[in-house]
Amino acid sequence: MKSYAYLFEGLTVQRVLVVTAVCAAATASVVWLFLNTYRDLLVSALCVGYASMVLFTMAGNIRQGRVPREVMQVGAIVIGSFVGTIVAGLVKGRDVRQMFAERLFGVLITMGLGIGFGCVVVAAYILREKHARDQALHHAAESERHQLAKNLLEAKLALMQAQIEPHFLFNTLANVQHLVETNPPEASRMLESLIQYLRAAMPQMREAYTNLGRELDMSRAFLDIHRVRMGTRLAYAIDVPDALKGRAFPPMMLITLVENAVKHGIDPSCEAGSITIRAAEDEGKLRVWVEDTGEGIKPKQGGGVGLANIRERLKALYGVSAKLVIEERAPHGVVASIEVPTGSAA
Amino acid sequence: MSAITAVIADDEPLLRAQLRSRLARVWPELEVVHEMENGRDIGQVLDRHGPQLFFLDIHMPGVNGLEAARAIGERAHVVFVTAFDQYAVEAFEQGAIDYVLKPFNEERLALTCARLKERIGERPPSLDELVERLAARIAPQAGGVEHLRWIKASVGSNVRLIPVEEVIFFQSDEKYTRVVTCEAEVLIRKPIRELLEELDPARFWQVHRATIVNVDCIASVRRGLKDQAEISLRDRAETLVVSRAFTHRFKQM
Repeated sequence: MKSYAYLFEGLTVQRVLVVTAVCAAATASVVWLFLNTYRDLLVSALCVGYASMVLFTMAGNIRQGRVPREVMQVGAIVIGSFVGTIVAGLVKGRDVRQMFAERLFGVLITMGLGIGFGCVVVAAYILREKHARDQALHHAAESERHQLAKNLLEAKLALMQAQIEPHFLFNTLANVQHLVETNPPEASRMLESLIQYLRAAMPQMREAYTNLGRELDMSRAFLDIHRVRMGTRLAYAIDVPDALKGRAFPPMMLITLVENAVKHGIDPSCEAGSITIRAAEDEGKLRVWVEDTGEGIKPKQGGGVGLANIRERLKALYGVSAKLVIEERAPHGVVASIEVPTGSAA
Repeated sequence: MSAITAVIADDEPLLRAQLRSRLARVWPELEVVHEMENGRDIGQVLDRHGPQLFFLDIHMPGVNGLEAARAIGERAHVVFVTAFDQYAVEAFEQGAIDYVLKPFNEERLALTCARLKERIGERPPSLDELVERLAARIAPQAGGVEHLRWIKASVGSNVRLIPVEEVIFFQSDEKYTRVVTCEAEVLIRKPIRELLEELDPARFWQVHRATIVNVDCIASVRRGLKDQAEISLRDRAETLVVSRAFTHRFKQM
């Protein structure tokens, strides 16, 4: 029995009171049509009303997908009125067979009124429920929108707060310091790269709008610095058609992939490795990918904060039409790619 | 008295050259007998060159400076070299150990060298405790339980790496496990049982014999047929069944 309790979900005291009140009011409004007393009619009305109420509740809770719930509920009212009329007869101590044979008109009137009032009540109920549902949907859509806006804001804040790593800065400066004494032209080139990288990476200087070319310049500056620092351990190539360099591209995403390739790919490896940046456009999608031949990602390795930030911002900027995909590269290394629709502002 | 010998370990070639030239200026008698680009083969280097002194960069690939110091033990004096690392510097100060910062400051390097000259005849101090403390500070996650962070799944001829926080739920599907994310659905061979052991239990809950859900992706839970419950998800239309054995996890909600 317990497992069928859900059928009666919603059969609240409030519902019983509402049905009772409706029955009392309905009886009052039609009592002048009848010879019966108010009390006698009210008993019939309550029997019909309660029977309909119980069946209506069950119809609303039955788990089935074939018949629309509303049709089931109206059916419940019809059956409820029929059953209620019989129950009313029993309550009043009448013979049911005789009731249908001799007082058919009265029975039909009772049932008809039950169905009529029942349908009005059900219609009101269904409208109210629909309204509540619309409200809830609207609310859900609204909160979804707020959530997205909040996520974007958080992603932007995290981006603003992302610091230039002191470790990177000081190591680079130590290299420059040495080159100043031993190879001044090279020192000057390295400083230039550092300045270019810092100009793009300093939170205050980051541009809200940028294009692929500028993001590539920043990545090149970063890779140039690392090539000097790591010596023969790092080689890199940028293979991007000039035609694509003017395409809009969100800021700081490419450099995050490049930094990951150095930090998690080449740097932890004792072997020499290479990083290649490529881009292609196909059917309105611009795809940019960074390939490294480094260590690869271990299943329990962390450090996905930068990636989570990219994903969050892509979702906020382009919805489902942009994506970030990380793949293993054979025989070792990682390919990380970002795909965005072209033609929309980044 | 024979010359004091030293080995320099740093993965950046220019910084090795720089330290070498600086040392030549502030401590001309010191002989740098070997350079290493990572901490591997410390034993071999000790055997072959027998230096009294190591300059170890902390951050190196393969075997880093801390691991190298552990391998050296009390067989030589160690000076740590680091660019910027607040935690490391704090630990150095507390442990009164020799360290130099990059970029090098010549006066500071000279001071370190002066201290080393006094000490070089003595037995090298044990660094074990300090190294452990440093290791804990620099890589705090090491030692604790590490959870699965990436799911590897074949997609066509490629192996895709999916961060676990992207996964909405895992569901066993005969001999495979379905991995469902916002944008994709892939199959992996790792069974639910193994995933359960490896995933972060605070984030991934088993809700059914065949299902693990990312609790961050649950939109709502409602009572369903019998003693089960039903989970609605964010970003996915389908619902998940919580079987009776697991409904207690949602009782207080």
